Parts: sequence; C-alpha cells; structure tokens
Amino acid sequence: MSFARRLLMTVALALLAGCDNMLDDLAPSGEDKRPDVVLGSVGPQVGQIAPDFTLDDTLYTPHTLSTELASARAVVLYFNMWCPICDTHANHMRQYIVPDFPDVRFFLVDYVSGSVPLSRSNQIASGYTDFTVLVPTSDSFTKRYQATMGTTVVIDANGQIVRMNEDFLDGNKLRATLEALP
Amino acid sequence: MASSNSGYCSILFAGSLCLMGLLPMDSWAASCCGGGSSSSLIMPKFSRAMVDMSVDMEDYNGFWDSQGDYRPDPKDSDLNQYRINLGYAHRFGSRWQGSVILPYVWNNNEYTGLTSNTQGLGDTTLNLWYETFDNVTCVWKVRQWADLKPAVYLGASLTVPTGISRFDNVANSFDITGRGFYRLDANLLVDKTIYPWNASLLLSYGKYLERNVNRDYGNYVEPSRRKLGDRQLATLSAGYTYFLESMDTLTFTLALSHLQEDDGRIDGRPDPSTRMEKNSLAGTVAWSTMDRDWIFKGTLSHAVPRNDWGDNFPVTNVLSFEVSHVLR
Repeated sequence: MSFARRLLMTVALALLAGCDNMLDDLAPSGEDKRPDVVLGSVGPQVGQIAPDFTLDDTLYTPHTLSTELASARAVVLYFNMWCPICDTHANHMRQYIVPDFPDVRFFLVDYVSGSVPLSRSNQIASGYTDFTVLVPTSDSFTKRYQATMGTTVVIDANGQIVRMNEDFLDGNKLRATLEALP
Repeated sequence: MASSNSGYCSILFAGSLCLMGLLPMDSWAASCCGGGSSSSLIMPKFSRAMVDMSVDMEDYNGFWDSQGDYRPDPKDSDLNQYRINLGYAHRFGSRWQGSVILPYVWNNNEYTGLTSNTQGLGDTTLNLWYETFDNVTCVWKVRQWADLKPAVYLGASLTVPTGISRFDNVANSFDITGRGFYRLDANLLVDKTIYPWNASLLLSYGKYLERNVNRDYGNYVEPSRRKLGDRQLATLSAGYTYFLESMDTLTFTLALSHLQEDDGRIDGRPDPSTRMEKNSLAGTVAWSTMDRDWIFKGTLSHAVPRNDWGDNFPVTNVLSFEVSHVLR
C-alpha cells in the first residue's frame, strides 16, 4: 500500500472518529428542531415565561426582572463576555437600537467576570459605563436562560413571555421583535 | 549549463521551501472566532511528494474593535490555541500538484472567571496548484530580460468544515475549532529569486458557501441561511539565503500580510458583525539539508497591538515550528 493511501485512510479514520459533530457542518440541516413548549410554563424558550431573577449591577444596585417589567414595555438581556464580537453587537445596539426604544430596559449580562469589582473594571475598560451591567456570580443564571456569548433575550411586560432568545447576529431580529411588542 | 541548472534547481528548491512558511497561516484565532484552519502547502518543482508537520502556538493579546481601536483582553485572561497540522502534497503531472492539510486543535483558555480546555479537528484544506513554468526561474545574475521572469503558480483551495463550529453541539464559544463553512479560494503566487535574494507575492480571494443553520452554540434556533463574507488575503515577502560550508542553506524571510473578510449574510441581508481585518508581520528562519530533502522552519507571526492594524478581530502572536520531507 502506498504512503498516500495509508495517509488517506488515516485521515478518513480520524474524520469518522469525530463525525458526531462534524456532520452538522458537512451536511447542514435547515430543519426546525426547536423544542415544543407549553405556553405559560417557566423556561428560556420563546413562548415561555422568563425565570424571574434578582442580580446586582456593577454599582451593587439590585435589579429584579419583575420589578423592571412593571415600569417598562420589555427587558432585553444581552449576554456579554467583553470580546470583539460582543463589542460589535453591544456597540450596534447602543447606536442603532437603544435610542429608538426608550421604554425598553436594556441590560448587558456579564456572565464571565464572576464578581462585581472585576465586572466593573471590565465595563470601564471596554467603554460601557452608559449601560447597566448585571453580574451573575454563578453560572446557574446563564444556564437557566441557556445563554452564551451574544445571546439576546427579549422579555415583554405581558406575562413575562420570552419573545426572543438567540444570538444578536446583525440586530435585525431584535429590532423586529421590539417593534412587534404590544 | 547543466551544472548551472542543477545549482539553480537547488536554489529554487530552497526558495520554494521558504515560501511555505509565508503562505496563508490562517490563524483563525480565538476559539471565540473559530480556530483551527491551516496553511497552504507547495512542494518544489522536481519532486514527487512531500510530507509536512507543523506545530502552531498562538497566544492572544487583546483585540481590535469594530472601529479598529486596540483593546486589551479583560483582566485575568489567558487565551491560547495550539495546533498540529499534518500535510501531504503529491505531484500529479509536471505542472500539477495537490495537497491536503489536516489540523488538530487544542484550545486552552482562562477568560476572567471562565476556564476552558477543549480539543478537536480543525477545518481541512485541499489545494490544487498549477505551475505556469517548466524550467526553474531563479538565477544568480540577471544577464537578459528573460532572467527576470518569475515563477507563477495558479491555485485553488477548498476548505472543508471538519472542525467543531458554533453550529455544532457546543456549550460555548471556547469549544470551537473550525468555522463551519465550506470555502473556495482562487490563489496566485508569484515568486522570484535572484540569488541570494528572494521575493514573493501571494494573492488569494475566497468565497464562503451559503449554508443552513438551525443551531447556534448548542441551542436550536429558527432556521436561516447564512454565509461569511468574501475573503481577501495578500502576503508580500522577501528573503535572503546563506549557503553554509556543508552546503546546507539557512534562509531568513520577512513577510507582511493583510487579511480581510467582508460582511456576512443572513437570509440575504448583510451581517456586519462578521466583518474583519487583520494585518500581521512574520519572520521565518528555514534550514534545509544539503540534499534539500529535509527542511526545518521556525516562524513568528506578530499582529501589532495598535489602533488601525486590524478590525473586529483578536490580536495574536503565533510561533510555529515546521518539518518537511520531500520524496523524490
């Protein structure tokens, strides 16, 4: 067997060994696989009631979801880790979305710093002192919302229904979701 | 003349091997941006095949924001990616050669309060190159206009998304070893050696293929059609070769590289969040044995942590060691 064939077989075996994840990219599916939800149940999926929470911001001011919703049309949570993409998203939100929705409460959720002082330091260094930054001190909050870098959650005032829970991407879906609020 | 040609051949050999270090070292940094692509691979004119192994150690040192301003990473951050790239090049004809490069990627990240250590295959690259010349084009002295003729290579590359991307079943952005998209590149490489000097220019234009997306960072999402923006790469390099007493060669090369990607697309709409630009400098030292069958290289690629050297992309330094063996 030639060297080339042996190498090819080795590569093929390596590919097969890792194909569990790989096939999703080699042959991507467009099928909608979002789980069905029971309307009115508590959870992070669109159509569910958002789990209530109380979190400190970087100035140690506590924020409770239900209280915030009592005085706003909606709450937007943006899960932020102070990375380049996060900066692009947050900057876009600041420039093009926040000014058009004065009755919506926008929060950055710093889910990586783990403490208020570190989060405050990162907030200042990144130039986002004009945003309210919420600081979960454990990963249970992020897990409850099934969130990661760039996840954007929209919760409306009408029964705390989650309207959107996915990556910010180009911001168009966030804008459309906010414009569709009652 | 025969002996001269033989000498030229050796020089071309050395020059071509130096080029390998300057070809696109796609340091798709940061797992948060999709790591683990690989370099191109070109073998010398009169060889049958070549095997190649390289190790990349990439260290992250802040990023350029969307305005091109440099920003350091948050406190308590230490981001690293390590790659082993296995490559094989094969000659199909006097002017045709092809290669495959398969990277394996380790992500090792401390990011403020988050620790992540993941590994997996990176994206695989398949290359096809056509050499527009039959005879070596490097010379010792320019005696006539024809001596100035460069070696021109035309190439095509296909990147296959064998890595772990954000669209796979991953928990977070640090798990990523690939970008998740097929990409086709058209490549042009122009190389000229007037011994002991060498200069080369590599131009590459790539188009990502649109794909379905129904999952993002492990969560199923509303299906959409996405693609990344067109990719442009230009690398300009210059090198100098010393002949050692043993007739081994030592070649020093400096390169300047510009890489950028345009806006991506989501269901046909522009997505500026994936737009990026990166400029970097690289220095390579290559040692080749007398028979030119073994080549050992070390490369340091440096992205300058200053404003306007990049846009929406991590700033990284990449230290690479590479061993190539040519099969006659």
